[in-house]
Amino acid sequence: MQFPSDYKYSKEHTWIKIEGQTGTIGITEFAQSELGEIVYVDLPSVGKQFKKDEIFGSVEAIKTTSDLFMPVSGEVIETNAALKDDATLVNSASFTDGWMIKIILSDSKEIDTLLNAGSYEKIVS
Amino acid sequence: MRIALFSDIHANLPALEACFNSMEAQKPDAIYCLGDLVGYNIWPNEVINEIRKRGIPTIAGNYDQGIGLMSDECGCAYKKEPEKDMGKISISFTNSLVKPDERKYLRTLPAHIRVEFQLNNDKLNLLLVHGSPRKINEYLFEDRDEKSMLRIMEGADADIMCFGHTHKPYHRILPTEQTENTHYRHAINIGSVGKPKDNNPKGCYVMLTINADSSITNKDAVQVEFIRFDYDIEKAAKAVEDSPLPNEYADMLRKGY
Repeated sequence: MQFPSDYKYSKEHTWIKIEGQTGTIGITEFAQSELGEIVYVDLPSVGKQFKKDEIFGSVEAIKTTSDLFMPVSGEVIETNAALKDDATLVNSASFTDGWMIKIILSDSKEIDTLLNAGSYEKIVS
Repeated sequence: MRIALFSDIHANLPALEACFNSMEAQKPDAIYCLGDLVGYNIWPNEVINEIRKRGIPTIAGNYDQGIGLMSDECGCAYKKEPEKDMGKISISFTNSLVKPDERKYLRTLPAHIRVEFQLNNDKLNLLLVHGSPRKINEYLFEDRDEKSMLRIMEGADADIMCFGHTHKPYHRILPTEQTENTHYRHAINIGSVGKPKDNNPKGCYVMLTINADSSITNKDAVQVEFIRFDYDIEKAAKAVEDSPLPNEYADMLRKGY
């Protein structure tokens, strides 16, 4: 199972990849494997603002559904349109093509509250 | 009109025979079967033929699709390893039992049936699916978020949606506020004839009544009756125990889980 070292992780199984003031967010490979085949991803509109730990969307899998929690606070600037046609990208490429939203971070200090790859791996293994 | 709906027989012939006895006494105007005729018991061919000889419109369930394609995958999305191991035995055993003509029937079953009523100068759409309109094996449990349920039903243009697959019956009325009045959609899980999982081992089917004044703006547009019937559970459970199938499937029949 993969845990890319340049990503940060939340205990709620989301990852964030930081580039300057923007962050790309998705769910981890562990999360998608627990959920099983994903059928639909409910994502917020561009412009919406969320606080850290707030629910920003949900994932609907064959047998279960799960809320999605913001790893840090921010404003949504883009959502992954490809998931509308093929939600299973979250299963097949959870850390790359299966990304969910891009945000502008409200408070970059919040990044320090997240887990690094090694700490997250310990939680799920 | 009164419409009888049943599904998830899962090769349980004693349950299907009792279901037909109960249903025929009710004299419905129409009967539909929502799939999963086979798997988990010893009578897949007999179940298929009892349904075929009555000419009952039937849609494919995920297990029917798996067996129709001679696949080793039933689309059951088992989570735990023991479940997966038991599931492998069941699909392999079912594949060994089903005859060519019966397999061909399963392979050509339609995915959905849509019935459009035109009442009170308006349409009322009844959609019949096995799991959900978007996936044959999606589990729509009773606790599914209302927003998600409505999105699924609106996307499929379904005012009344009947489905099975979870083996746990329920009827949910989902209101949506429109400019002039409230629309009411009905999500109906019809339970299971031959493998109930709601802790009631009796078989289950649904009698749906559509009235002349039924409409999407009338909350009581449809009456939904869940009919539970007795059948020879012991015969079905013993059949499992006397076969290569895991004995746990017999316990599940006796206790309804």
